[in-house]
Amino acid sequence: MLAQQIVNAISLGSVYALFALGFTLVFGILGVINLSHGGIFMLGAYAALLLISKFFLPFWIAIPVAMIFSGLVGLLIDVLILRRLRQRQASHLMPMIATIGAAILMTSLAQGLFGSEARRFPLEMFNDENLKLGNITIPLLQAGITTLSILLMLLMVWVLKRTRLGQALRAIAESPRAAALLGIPVERLFYLTSFIAAALGGTAGILIGLSFNAISPFMGQPMLHKGIAAIILGGLGDVRGAVLGGLFLGVAEVFAITFLSSEYRDALSFGLLFLMLLWRPQGLFGASATRSA
Amino acid sequence: MRLRPLTALLTLLSALIISMASPAGEIRIGLTEALTGPASQYGTPIHNGFILAQEEINAKGGISGNKIVLIEEDERGKKEEAINVYKKLIFQDKVLMIFGPTLSNSMFAAGPVANAAHVVAFGTSNTASGITDIGPYVFRSSPMEADVVPVTLKAAIKHLNIHKVGIIYGNDDAFTKSGYDVFKQALEDQHIPVVDTETYSKGDVDFKAQLTKLKAADPDVIICPCLSEEGSNILLQARALGIKLSFIGGNGFNSPKLVEIAKTAAEGTIVGSPWFDGNPSVQNQHFIAAYRKKFGTDPNQFSAQGYDALFILAEALKKVKLMGNLEQDRQALRDALPDVQIDGATGKFAFRPAPPHNGKPGGYDANQTPFVYIVKNGKFVLLK
Amino acid sequence: MDWSSWWSTYSTLVLSIGVYGLMAISIYITLSCGLLSLANAAFMGIGSYVSAVATMQFELPFSLALLLGTLTPSVVALIIGVPVLRLSGVYLAMATLGFGEVVRVVALNLDITGGPLGLNGIPLLTEWWHVLLALILVLILLNALRHSKIGRAFEAIREDETAARLMGIATHHIKLLAFVLGAAIAGLAGGLNAHYTFTLSPGNFGFENAVDILTMAVLGGIQGLIGPLLGGAIITLLPELLRSLEEFRMAANGVILIAVVLFLPQGIWDPRRFRRWLKKRATHVDA
Repeated sequence: MLAQQIVNAISLGSVYALFALGFTLVFGILGVINLSHGGIFMLGAYAALLLISKFFLPFWIAIPVAMIFSGLVGLLIDVLILRRLRQRQASHLMPMIATIGAAILMTSLAQGLFGSEARRFPLEMFNDENLKLGNITIPLLQAGITTLSILLMLLMVWVLKRTRLGQALRAIAESPRAAALLGIPVERLFYLTSFIAAALGGTAGILIGLSFNAISPFMGQPMLHKGIAAIILGGLGDVRGAVLGGLFLGVAEVFAITFLSSEYRDALSFGLLFLMLLWRPQGLFGASATRSA
Repeated sequence: MRLRPLTALLTLLSALIISMASPAGEIRIGLTEALTGPASQYGTPIHNGFILAQEEINAKGGISGNKIVLIEEDERGKKEEAINVYKKLIFQDKVLMIFGPTLSNSMFAAGPVANAAHVVAFGTSNTASGITDIGPYVFRSSPMEADVVPVTLKAAIKHLNIHKVGIIYGNDDAFTKSGYDVFKQALEDQHIPVVDTETYSKGDVDFKAQLTKLKAADPDVIICPCLSEEGSNILLQARALGIKLSFIGGNGFNSPKLVEIAKTAAEGTIVGSPWFDGNPSVQNQHFIAAYRKKFGTDPNQFSAQGYDALFILAEALKKVKLMGNLEQDRQALRDALPDVQIDGATGKFAFRPAPPHNGKPGGYDANQTPFVYIVKNGKFVLLK
Repeated sequence: MDWSSWWSTYSTLVLSIGVYGLMAISIYITLSCGLLSLANAAFMGIGSYVSAVATMQFELPFSLALLLGTLTPSVVALIIGVPVLRLSGVYLAMATLGFGEVVRVVALNLDITGGPLGLNGIPLLTEWWHVLLALILVLILLNALRHSKIGRAFEAIREDETAARLMGIATHHIKLLAFVLGAAIAGLAGGLNAHYTFTLSPGNFGFENAVDILTMAVLGGIQGLIGPLLGGAIITLLPELLRSLEEFRMAANGVILIAVVLFLPQGIWDPRRFRRWLKKRATHVDA
């Protein structure tokens, strides 16, 4: 049973990780807690669902199109809302409230357009098989999600650490003003960050929609809670930390169920978050405190 | 849909000023369900059931010539909105009685308002115990879990070899928690030990950790007082983990969606409920066909209960002579309702007085015999 | 429509405006000293449960129940405030959100709170004048506080905490005071709310409500005590005013939030903007 639970923990954790990746990226570069990330996650899932079931696009076209669509939604939020707040140098409270507004708007529109019933992709259209290793079952799709989130994390880390783009982004994270003085096109890179983060969030939504009967206008809210816990555990704004934090949260939840009782699962994950902030605000994996926000 | 906040404001203001009297030939009935927010996945089908029934009743000439007018309001599944809507319907719209709200928690908030104003509050989806303790003006057509679960369990024991069970349920929801409490009691009465109890929260989609633990506890059957939404995910993941056991569901597990989504994973699932789509009665087959035609989706138990509730009212109104005096009419309706019996989409229906609570008279619960169904070859069939 | 039938229809709405005005003020206190705490929904929940249990199970008089409902969250705030208030900004917001979830899960799993079914059949005890009196008392207290040394310390901390500390202000104590005071007012509001809505369940005090309360304060404006009151009233009335939009009415809610943040950054009640307007008009008259 323990081996199976470890598999369960990793597969649950990697979903959290994938969601947290984009969430933390926005905080790391823009210094903003984007509470509409759950809404983007939800819209990504609906976009893919619509493309496949209404426009009959093949799987391998629909998914990238839905990813780009989610990215554009994120870009739109940046251009319409976050950019203005940046120009005004508003306090961190303002983007939080504005993005809550955006999340409410998205949820409400999705409910009006698609109804409130949960849906999933047509089962026949993808591989629903399981890998069996002795007693352990590994759903292939879940294995795919885990692999993908780790690959995306490695890619992001590589971009941030090894490329000129990453260098510029890190400079912005330190100080947007100094970066601008160095001739870095700060505003354009903000847009790019918002686009990439939202595309990642949308991807998480699409993959959840593939694995579970879970596409509903309200799917973003619970995930947002987990995402907040994950990025705090991993250290706000830290890309590696988000993935590790997501995995850690998955492990903590599954182990709470295995060794304690499932009733304590939620209390444990949020209690953990609470204690973590008191003990190590920079998170489990953060080396030093991120910029004070 | 155009956005018209100004019109909305004006409507509200004018409503504040002008009191409305009901024109002759209309019977004004309040209908409040959760039409937005997460509870709308239950509220919307109920609402649809009512709309369909209203159309059918009015098309046949209404109640001795008077048309039924539904004053529809959204209560978002929130207790304060449920109270506000109830007060608006009772004191401003001056309705004869009110159907809804969707969630038991909302009825606990709004029911006392109607009871104090001597207006019938009629729930079609409230299954929690204690609802009809609110007072003698509170009715419900949804059978309590306490009526459904023991019957289901007995039938399942006869059908399967059950010596020990595992349970999984949502512990942050009044509906599923009530179901769990009743199952627990019924299992105690039958002296069947529970080897493992697992819980989940609203919005969860991954149940593999809980199911893995249940599998290790080696029960003979898994009891799942869940809603079909989570139920189908639980069934699919259980099969993926190699759990071949039968599942026993509570009231509300028997949605056609369950089989549609879970497909073969739902085989052998046992549920108890007054309604199922395979019930061959004329009323039920007519209801299902008409619902599909009007709304383009399959009905579920909630829509069937909403549909039947309006016919229950229509039956009562046949015996009431409306005098135009609102207070007397409301009381006359209240006095006529308890004796109503119909044979609707959910089968034979009658009310049963709730026992007095702390010396105060209670309202009326549903008195319906639940049937027990099992999923065979992708369809709900009667368990013999 | 005559007065008594108007009151029958809208009494709950009026009481809610008052109670959510109190909630908006409770978060205004912490905001006014620069703390972004989102724990007030949880404190309201604690106050609601404590006072409802007091009247229902122990049959205490309403006044005593309200007092307990005010004191219990204050004590909780005092205990968690000491470690939590070392955090600032987004970290504090997240920690207090986490605390709120813990409170919700505890309420779900305790017997005395009725679990997910909550407490039902709570007696109807809150009268309109209770709410009015609570509001007036709180406003008088806070107005006095604002013009005292402590009020100036709040402002100093919000402007620049380090400078305030260097000036000799006991910043940690002052922040703790704001946190506890906010919890007390939220608890009082909770006790009042529980006794006119007949029922309580853990879902009433989750993330969504924490966010709603914050929105009230920011929407109304946090330059003074009028802003939060106004914001509380607007957010309470909005769903009722937007009824005719049906399934899209929450969308309008979202749009309004965004618009306020973008176009009225100081909130609706912004004395400085009003003064600017007045000045402009005065110069027009002069010319």
